[in-house]
Amino acid sequence: MQSSWLHILWIGLEVTLRLSLYTIVFSIVVAAAFAVASISQRRLVRWTVRFVVDLLRSIPILALLIFVYYGLGKYIASWNIDPFWMAVGALTLGEAAFLSEVFRAGLEAVPRAQWEAATSLGFRRSSALGRIIAPQAVLPSIPGVVNMSIFTFKDSSLASVIAVPEVTQVANQLVSETFKPLQVYLLLAGFYLVVILPFTALAGVAERAVTRYYGLRVDKTSVARN
Amino acid sequence: MTTGEITSDLLRGSIATLEIAGGAWAVSATVGLAFAMVRDVGVLPIRLATVAVTAVLRSTPQLILLYLVFFGLPSIGVNVGGLTAAIVVLGVADASFNAEYYRASLLTVAPMQRDAGMSLGFSRLGTLGFVVLPQAMLYMVAPLLNSFLSLLKTATLASAIGVPEILYRGQNDIQLTGRVVAVIVVVIALYAVACMPLIRLISLVERRARERLYT
Repeated sequence: MQSSWLHILWIGLEVTLRLSLYTIVFSIVVAAAFAVASISQRRLVRWTVRFVVDLLRSIPILALLIFVYYGLGKYIASWNIDPFWMAVGALTLGEAAFLSEVFRAGLEAVPRAQWEAATSLGFRRSSALGRIIAPQAVLPSIPGVVNMSIFTFKDSSLASVIAVPEVTQVANQLVSETFKPLQVYLLLAGFYLVVILPFTALAGVAERAVTRYYGLRVDKTSVARN
Repeated sequence: MTTGEITSDLLRGSIATLEIAGGAWAVSATVGLAFAMVRDVGVLPIRLATVAVTAVLRSTPQLILLYLVFFGLPSIGVNVGGLTAAIVVLGVADASFNAEYYRASLLTVAPMQRDAGMSLGFSRLGTLGFVVLPQAMLYMVAPLLNSFLSLLKTATLASAIGVPEILYRGQNDIQLTGRVVAVIVVVIALYAVACMPLIRLISLVERRARERLYT
């Protein structure tokens, strides 16, 4: 009995991992775009992006998921989009909003003199950003990225409410078949722990390393809340 | 249902949301402080146990903790109402984050302060409570506001166990009336009105605290 549970949950875990991986990759791309736009010299661009980021940070991820599912579902039913991709979209919006703040803090932590030096060497703003400023913002952002990955693994469980067959949804079905909620959900929690605990440890290590490297300049992001 | 009726229905839901978030916030602030203090002054096995418990709580999705308490505990004879389950589970899960922030804020106080407290005859707990904690308070303001912001949002998880908060009512309204856009707009507006000023306030307080710490 128990071994077949493990097997069934394992199939769901694969979906969870794929869902999380896509979300993490897309979030990094979207967040980078947000972060660059949020330090734009054009005030309109800067304010618009900061408003959008604050707005996204205000909306619960579960609400994003349900709205994408119900809201778009009505209009794009004919496109036959898999709920899996709706979940990737909704999770990406939520996680990217958080991560863009991490990236922005990273960009803003680069000393102003670096910009001035780049300008005096004849770099345009865009190439100064790409070749000089952004590379220096990568390292201090790593704890934040690890942390966002942890959020994503945890938040991917919310996709179960829009019928994505990830591990929580699989566990729900198992409960309705076996009527053993306590055992199934404890096992499920174990699955998440096995995936996430190494990342939690990694987040701590990354943060200590970056803090040591930069002095006290990096904030405690490894336990930041989404 | 008119848009006005949908709005008033969702506003009723927002009261439940505030109940969950407020209750969980109180739980989180106190339990988090308890975690941090035990980790600071407890004996080694207890300290290690606290570290392990908070790490596990931080690493498990709140939805599953909620299912465990709401669906799991009744099978061993413990019945918990939806609202209580949401407040306790979300509160204790958030406490595992607050514990780290409390600890970080305790670390901002110079070790000499602790030595001075001990040399004046305070016990370890007394030193923590009367000497270190008051000086660390400032650095807890932003994390505690952040905690409330986060709980306002995670309160939506209570909809998964049938507590009629905003999102639960919103989903019902969608199913009853089919007015998807109206519901989405009102829910987002309610959340934006509550959370966006809070986000700005938090970053302001964080900046103040940081300036004070590094200058």
